[in-house]
Amino acid sequence: MLDFFTIFSKGGLVLWCFQGVRGPAATAPVNALIRSVLLQERGGNNSFTHEALTLKYKLDNQFELVFVVGFQKILTLTYVDKLIDDVHKEFRDKYRNEFQQKGALGLLNGTFDFKDDFMRLLRDAEESSKVRAPTVMKTFEQSLKSQKTVKCMIETRGEKPKEKVKNKKNKGSKKDGTEAVAAPSKASAGDKQLSVAGDKEELTKDEILQKNREEFFRRHMKAGEKSRSPKPDAQKEKGKKPRVWDLGNSNAKVLDYSNSATNGSAEACPVEEFDPDTALGDKNREPGRLYDLEYESDDEAEEEKVVQNPSKPSVKKGGLGGMFGMLKGLVGSKSLTREDMDPVLEKMKDHLIAKNVAAEIAVQLCESVAKKLEGKVMGTFTTVTSTVKQALQEALVQILQPQRRVDVLRDVMDAQRHRRPYVVTFCGVNGVGKSTNLAKISFWLIENGFSVLIAACDTFRAGAVEQLRTHTRRLNALHPPESHGGRTMVQLYEKGYGKDAAGIAMEAISYARNQGFDVVLVDTAGRMQDNAPLMTALAKLIAVNAPDLVLFVGEALVGNEAVDQLVKFNKALADHSMAQTPRLIDGIVLTKFDTIDDKVGAAISMTYITSKPIVFVGTGQTYCDLRSLNAKAVVAALMKA
Amino acid sequence: AMAGGLEPHLEALRRELRGPAVLSVLIALIAVAVTFLIWRFVQGRRSSRKAVLLLGLCDAGKTLLFARLLSGRYRDTQTSITDSSAVYRVSRDKSTNVTLIDLPGHESLRLQFLERFKAAARAIVFVVDSVAFQREVKDVAEFLYQVLVDSTVLRNAPALLVACNKQDVTMAKSAKLIQQQLEKELNTLRVTRSAAPTSLDGSATGGPAQLGKKGKDFDFSQLPMKVEFVECSARGSKGEEGEADLEGLEKWLAKVA
Repeated sequence: MLDFFTIFSKGGLVLWCFQGVRGPAATAPVNALIRSVLLQERGGNNSFTHEALTLKYKLDNQFELVFVVGFQKILTLTYVDKLIDDVHKEFRDKYRNEFQQKGALGLLNGTFDFKDDFMRLLRDAEESSKVRAPTVMKTFEQSLKSQKTVKCMIETRGEKPKEKVKNKKNKGSKKDGTEAVAAPSKASAGDKQLSVAGDKEELTKDEILQKNREEFFRRHMKAGEKSRSPKPDAQKEKGKKPRVWDLGNSNAKVLDYSNSATNGSAEACPVEEFDPDTALGDKNREPGRLYDLEYESDDEAEEEKVVQNPSKPSVKKGGLGGMFGMLKGLVGSKSLTREDMDPVLEKMKDHLIAKNVAAEIAVQLCESVAKKLEGKVMGTFTTVTSTVKQALQEALVQILQPQRRVDVLRDVMDAQRHRRPYVVTFCGVNGVGKSTNLAKISFWLIENGFSVLIAACDTFRAGAVEQLRTHTRRLNALHPPESHGGRTMVQLYEKGYGKDAAGIAMEAISYARNQGFDVVLVDTAGRMQDNAPLMTALAKLIAVNAPDLVLFVGEALVGNEAVDQLVKFNKALADHSMAQTPRLIDGIVLTKFDTIDDKVGAAISMTYITSKPIVFVGTGQTYCDLRSLNAKAVVAALMKA
Repeated sequence: AMAGGLEPHLEALRRELRGPAVLSVLIALIAVAVTFLIWRFVQGRRSSRKAVLLLGLCDAGKTLLFARLLSGRYRDTQTSITDSSAVYRVSRDKSTNVTLIDLPGHESLRLQFLERFKAAARAIVFVVDSVAFQREVKDVAEFLYQVLVDSTVLRNAPALLVACNKQDVTMAKSAKLIQQQLEKELNTLRVTRSAAPTSLDGSATGGPAQLGKKGKDFDFSQLPMKVEFVECSARGSKGEEGEADLEGLEKWLAKVA
């Protein structure tokens, strides 16, 4: 049923391969797997689809091996995960010597005769998935219901509705209370016990009061966890208390919390004196003025205090085990486990999010790094933190490295040779700096001796055409035709407002071809990514005019929105294109880089989502504020504490 | 009283120090220090630059070349994610060894690995896919340019061999043609790379290093290191079972070691 199973080293040598019945060569799909998943740090989930095949893989980080299995996408094989694990263990144990002692030469010269073992494991896995007796239904005697007494299930008619309502209210408020309390302090054992106790409907009035008292103490006195946890225990051990069902034995009086006077009477509440001062609050308020939002930071401070408390007992628990682990780590034979890495990865994830990396991308990145490090043997005198940091740094540099060549001038020269203009389109949401950066890029191109035609395809925003006209005038003043052999270096092609952008772009390109312009820069209107008609219009512009470079302009201030923007833009471009391989975003221009100090996470979010390079970085509003990305500097700023 | 207690001790110490023991202690210390320095120096000399790096684009054939040189057999390969290194005995009679290091060619990894290993490079083999060369000439030239303008490489000037691989395919370009095309391409790249916008932290992308001589067309002879072009075929013209055609490469390796 499998198409193939390959085992190869991370250095690229195939150690053993099993070709299934009719499978094609395994090289191409596995290469696609490596390039799209492993090298782009999307190693979070371990399956990947390539054409008609599903590929599942497993990394062995200790001996630097990769195990890949491929099978048809339409099949759902349940035994594959188990098979990979078994094969991994067997292979590793069988050839442990080759890996450990001889290194690369061992891999090269060793013969890995694994076929028999593999067939055996495959047979076992297939059989284990087939043999499964249908689950037998439980008989009535075995169920819990038969063990309850009849008496507790009797409901007394009259009191039922009121008590039920009150019960629900109590349950609801109690659950909210415990949830709100449990939420900020997830990791603590004491809270778990409290919520468990709460779920067990053992509430009498006393217990409710007791619990409220405890919450009060904890919140305001910052009492330690340990003092609280004996209390629920003590309560439970008070002797076997009979179960008190709200529906059954207790009477209404216990549960009636309403005010005695207000039960159904017409004058609901005593007439209170209306004090206009207290009602209106601030005496110094100017009538008609709109005040700003007041930012309350009290809640957050409280939550932080609550969070810090629970983290202490878990640290104390790990004391002795941590000591041994540290010593072993110093000696250098410790292999990394998930538990070791989790706290460090959590911290790194929070650090990345604090540096403005989109949250889901930070999560995926940390997952991928964890997968890459699991089982790896640390060197001498390296701590878990330093290993994880190192791996994360490498992963970030890897993401920021361009997957394709980034050399606009070279491509313009090529187009020049073929006597056609090089067309660049700028797209993005509103207000990110498209027109400003377009002007900067045209300045840079003019400095390098290329003539530029600016196509004003933003026919919607008021003043867009005038803005570009002003830029054209300034650029021509900076580079007059006299200094370039009588040739106007930059010209604006515009047709006013309200016209169809795609049509203007097409006319501009043919005008440039006739007049011999080297580059055409097409400025489009800003549009929100979920505005479907506008996205269709943009996709049509790009599909019809087939520009050489589609640049997405994004600002460095954007946070989690970057992911949404890029995904939706790409999707729109792919959906509305008629071609087999649709034109997607080819590069990113990261603008307003001077407004962020070192919160440079937007660069990572954008390159991770699209795997396209950042072609330019805008660092200001003058013509010289155009830079190219330096991956190492950005990663250094990201990892800086 | 304290001072009085210390006095006789100080006197004893002074008497001790004046003896010949002092001199021998000093000499011993100096000997140790000198040995340590010599050892460090020798270590440095020996471990620096014993490596031959295999660089090139993805799918150029570096890993197969590595396997053939070391074991002589054909192996299936996948895209490399990490480096592999092994000691290669240059020829049967000489006993010199070099460490062959096969670096991944994928775009997101190659610069990182180059950074790591460039200081140890005694020679660089730049593997080029002769069949896909026409299509990939710009990418090949860009990578070669990045290798050549690297400051460490310029300083150490390791010998460079451009191995035009996959010569067993009939459509493969010859080494001469590849050399000419690369020279033309690098000539253009010099201009465009130095004109690219400066990097974020202020350092220019092309570095202050200028490739070759200004004013004249770029030529591989203008580089500070020796550059040779050789044709080879890792797969071998007789298919997977046959021998690889690596004579030129092996001869060059013997020369360089």
